[in-house]
Amino acid sequence: MALPMIRVQNVSKSYRRGGEMLTVLDRLSLEMDEGRFYALMGPSGSGKTTLLNLIGGLDTPDSGDLFVSGENLSDLAGADLSHWRAANVGFVFQGFNLIPVLSAFENVELPLKLTRLSGAERRQHAEHALTLVGLADRMHHRPKQLSGGQEQRVAIARAIASDPKVILADEPTGDLDRKSAEQVLELLGRLNREFKKTILMVTHDPHAAEHAQSIVHLDKGQLGRIEDNRRAPAMDAR
Amino acid sequence: MLPFKLIWRNLTRRPLRSLLTIGSLAVAILLICMLRSLITTMRAGVEHANPRRLAVMSASGLFVELPLSFQAKIDQVPGVEMTTKFQWFGGYYRSQKNFFAQFGVDPETMFAMYPECKITPTEIEAFRADRRACIIGRTLAKEFGWKVGDTVPIIGALHPHPEDKAWEFQVVGIYHSDVPNFDNRTLFFQWDYFEETLKQGGIPPDVSIYSIRVKPDANVDQVIADVEDTFADSDRRIDCTTEAEFQRQFLTMFGNIPLFLSWIGGGVLIAILVACTNTMLMAMREQTAEIGVLKSLGFTDGAMFELFIAQSTFLCMLGGGLGMLIAWSTQGGIARTIEFMFPGYAIKPETFALAAAVSLAIGPLAGIIPAWRARSLRCVEALRATD
Repeated sequence: MALPMIRVQNVSKSYRRGGEMLTVLDRLSLEMDEGRFYALMGPSGSGKTTLLNLIGGLDTPDSGDLFVSGENLSDLAGADLSHWRAANVGFVFQGFNLIPVLSAFENVELPLKLTRLSGAERRQHAEHALTLVGLADRMHHRPKQLSGGQEQRVAIARAIASDPKVILADEPTGDLDRKSAEQVLELLGRLNREFKKTILMVTHDPHAAEHAQSIVHLDKGQLGRIEDNRRAPAMDAR
Repeated sequence: MLPFKLIWRNLTRRPLRSLLTIGSLAVAILLICMLRSLITTMRAGVEHANPRRLAVMSASGLFVELPLSFQAKIDQVPGVEMTTKFQWFGGYYRSQKNFFAQFGVDPETMFAMYPECKITPTEIEAFRADRRACIIGRTLAKEFGWKVGDTVPIIGALHPHPEDKAWEFQVVGIYHSDVPNFDNRTLFFQWDYFEETLKQGGIPPDVSIYSIRVKPDANVDQVIADVEDTFADSDRRIDCTTEAEFQRQFLTMFGNIPLFLSWIGGGVLIAILVACTNTMLMAMREQTAEIGVLKSLGFTDGAMFELFIAQSTFLCMLGGGLGMLIAWSTQGGIARTIEFMFPGYAIKPETFALAAAVSLAIGPLAGIIPAWRARSLRCVEALRATD
């Protein structure tokens, strides 16, 4: 039996807020299979973004273990964790988070600077990623010169440029209009279907969650129900 | 590796702030070049001093004169090869803003005593022959457009002409010097003319400084001691020093100028270090979310440290380079302006090397606090800065 791509084991995480400890995740355990598209839903403060950050190695749990792509993240720290992140995870943020002083192409090329690829290969990869998101003709534009939807597509191109196995998206459609949101969601679905990327998307929006194959519900830092979404395009395609 | 483009564009994202910082750095480095050059120029006079030349002045200071009769007594001291005298005239040409040094000198001994004063034998002969003759330095000639044959009227502020008019000197030669302890912006006139004219008004002339050349086989320290002993019982006590010591005393006449200038330079450095640190801290605050993004992409904490050190270093190199360029291009004008007080002002390669080293050092120093903060910032905290 294949190992899950993401395994969360008894993970707890608390924050100190106003002198009071606030438990965000409480002994959470969860498994996610390789090549599936997951939506992570729950009310505000349910620990969705915290869980996403822990899975991406951006934050560390107070207790418990996280296995992502076969690696126990507890064993990694500092530069090792950075290198692991560069090779295994791509992030898509709600606010796009492109570097404003770099062009779309330069933003996408940025994670490739951490690889052993030559300049020509980096160029080829970055152009390919931008073509994939339909922005080959905008590669020399700065983020300010792009619409919100286009910015998010550049962010997706940046997330997939170094070909990570896992894409973590935190409310990727939160700042977009309906049409742009739909394009972004279709793009994520396509990356899952065609390139077998494991995608974990945090969302408040039930419509956005409809694009995922599984919907994981969190409530007060604990796992709620996990729904199989039979209407997801990915499922239809199988 | 972080792309150079990112470093450069981060610097240019706030062009006005970057320009102002670069401008401040340029001014600071310019000041450091100038102050350092003033110090080296002052010390050059000491370094180039002739070890066989001595200066005799009043023990009370340069502003107290010595009797003319002292020259004959000095000449009698064993080991003294030659003596010449200088009288500070303290006049000005037309208005007080046209100030330069004028000295009454004895042409028979002055040129033998100071071979660094380059002038043709014909001009020396003309200087000896005409009581109203004067010779002027090359810079002075250029500054006022004077040439041989011109008559230069000098108003005697310290020594007014007995007929209540300007002293008139005729230019018979233009000298130049290639060493920093003999400037090119002085007028030397005939002692005899000075003496005769003052006597017409019933005032016997005195001497500001006697200059002595010691015989090659004589012990300089012994000659100094003997000269001082000669006037030990006189009511006009004298101070006899080597030329180097005289130069040193001249520099410290108004206090320890090199130390004072060094303190100013140090203060300028500290001020600019604080200003650059502040600029880099502002830049770091603006780039906080981007630090989070870069870390999420896999750039290490160390890479973030390098990013801010590189930005700061590049900023300081630009400012420092500009400052050095201004210092280099203005040194000629500054040298002409201050030649009377500091002859031979020039920015030495060592000074440029020091300025470059300072620029290079300020960069990492100014960047270290923001770089450390960027390095220590947790990724999730940095990303929250977008909220």
